[in-house]
Amino acid sequence: MITLNTSAFARRPDFGAIVGVIMMFAVFSLIDFSGWWSGSTLGNILQFTAILGCMSIGQAIVIMAKEIDLSVGSVYGLTGIAFITLEADLGVPGAIIAAMAIAGGIGFLQAMAVIKGKIPSMIVTLGGLFAVRGLIYVWTGGSVRSLPAESRAHWLTQLFGGELFGIEAAILWTAGLMVVLSLVIWRMKFGNRLLATGGDENTALSQGIRTDRVKIRAFVLCSLLAGFAAILTLADKPQTHVTLGDLMELEAIAAAVIGGCLLSGGRGSLLGAVLGAFIITGVRYELISLGAPASWYISFVGLVLIVALIFNQSLIRWAGNRA
Amino acid sequence: MKWLASIKTGLAIAGIALTATTAVAQEPEEYRFVMVSHIGSNDPNMKWLTMAMEEFEKKYPNVTTEYVSSNQYSVQELVRLLDQTIASRPDGIAVPIVSRDALEGPIRRAIDSGIPVVAFNIPDSRPERERIPYMTYVGGDEYLTGYKTGQYAIEKAEAGEVPMPEHVVCAMIAAEHEGLRERCRGIEEAVAEVGATTEYLFTGADPATFRSNLQAYLSSHPESNYILNMGDFTAPWSWQVANELGMSPDVDDEGMTILAVGIGPIGLSGLKEGHLLVASEQGFWLQGYIPFEWLYWYHELGYEAQSDIITGPIMVDTTNIEKFDPLSKAVFGSGSEDSSAWQ
Repeated sequence: MITLNTSAFARRPDFGAIVGVIMMFAVFSLIDFSGWWSGSTLGNILQFTAILGCMSIGQAIVIMAKEIDLSVGSVYGLTGIAFITLEADLGVPGAIIAAMAIAGGIGFLQAMAVIKGKIPSMIVTLGGLFAVRGLIYVWTGGSVRSLPAESRAHWLTQLFGGELFGIEAAILWTAGLMVVLSLVIWRMKFGNRLLATGGDENTALSQGIRTDRVKIRAFVLCSLLAGFAAILTLADKPQTHVTLGDLMELEAIAAAVIGGCLLSGGRGSLLGAVLGAFIITGVRYELISLGAPASWYISFVGLVLIVALIFNQSLIRWAGNRA
Repeated sequence: MKWLASIKTGLAIAGIALTATTAVAQEPEEYRFVMVSHIGSNDPNMKWLTMAMEEFEKKYPNVTTEYVSSNQYSVQELVRLLDQTIASRPDGIAVPIVSRDALEGPIRRAIDSGIPVVAFNIPDSRPERERIPYMTYVGGDEYLTGYKTGQYAIEKAEAGEVPMPEHVVCAMIAAEHEGLRERCRGIEEAVAEVGATTEYLFTGADPATFRSNLQAYLSSHPESNYILNMGDFTAPWSWQVANELGMSPDVDDEGMTILAVGIGPIGLSGLKEGHLLVASEQGFWLQGYIPFEWLYWYHELGYEAQSDIITGPIMVDTTNIEKFDPLSKAVFGSGSEDSSAWQ
């Protein structure tokens, strides 16, 4: 009975990420117990995990649909810049709505290019990555101001960027989004359709699933989540620059893959994506703390990604054999 | 009388020819100079250069200047832009040597085909006999920028205004940028003279990543008491991280001290409000002007500069900030009133 339950648990797409997090805690506790368990270390890691995790959730949804979105770092940047810049004219609520509308609009346009233009999403979103980053440069001319003091004190800014119940708001928002969207994916029709579309599009079509609509929703959701991550970031720390979101798309994809998303689609986990973000952030943070040359962490993220993929594949085979 | 008619015709032709020659001699030569740059519209410092080029064109109306750049810092992209520029056969090129290996081939090709080249902003750091044979270099000295900033901090520490450097964090936003490494090497050697050590920390350029990486380092290295920022825009991020860790980052004789390379509205307000000790400026305006003057004189008079022309660093602090305020307004549209970044 216990063996069967273990096997069922191991078949979860996020099993590798859960094991990875446990191993990370064990190893870092052994190497640097006081540093790893200090409040500021875990607080900082969780804060950045919340931002990266929010982006990774969106990326995981797109990957489950057998697509990819390389533009999330730039969408994150543009949404943040739009929020800060438009706030002067629209106020905090108006700026948030407008910025999120921009993010959603970019997701929709990219989805239409993929579906109607029949262009691979890697190409469309790679173009989006450059085009949106270029828009940031053109819009700002290279310098971005911060939010004025009264806007920082606005209740909506505090809701996204302050502390709720003594915990950083971004952590609670990402956790809440992960739970709600996981329920949507595992308990509602959209989730079934998403996984069916990613698993085998022709079969999904033959069963009457409008795969184009599913993909549009996945892309829009991905961009909205990237945009929301930027709002969470800037509501907390509104001092920013045109480099906002620079290279974050790669970390978001890596987090989703470490979390158990298969690039071939049809399989993934939002919890896994957030845990993947935690692993990337935690490893980077601890490497720097332990005095490793900071530029090594990029190589290390690559190594973690490859090891996680091998581990996940082995787990799938092992669980399959056990079943 | 036939001979008289011939003389008249000859005189007329000679007169027309002389007039035409005089007219041609008075017509100044037209030149087209191109600045191929790694400083794109994502970097406000581009305006220093383009403003200087506008001034140059006013003084030399027979010269057309062009500024071509890419927004992303990419050596490959700069090489591509340089190749395109060489193919358009300009009368002179100014280019930063962001990577001597990547740029040596195209620049030698330009020089061999008769296009004079001036390096600006970043030189080929090899000895003169080994380096790319450009006419001259106009710009700051990356090593000197770090070195002078370190020396400045030591002088202020000796005067009791700030703590003596013990451990400096050199916050590198791009690991592959040779110039940033030179700045770090400069401050490393300067502070080593008082027994201090330096860490080259790759922070990344994204604000959240920068903060996370810096906090990771400072939390585990509390002996750090100086941060050198590679642009004034990262200085408030450093200040905030140090402040959150209780490291007292304002300019006083205790705790952390913040330094920056580059100056704009954020740096100026940081200096004015006592968050930033000093920001060095590398004479950006001159870098957009002097290369073209030498290219011009090369064509007109055959002049060639016999040494590099160093335009910086210029240390900006509370004693000379009022001179930079008007410049900042002209370039960035705002001066030291932009304090929101430090709140």
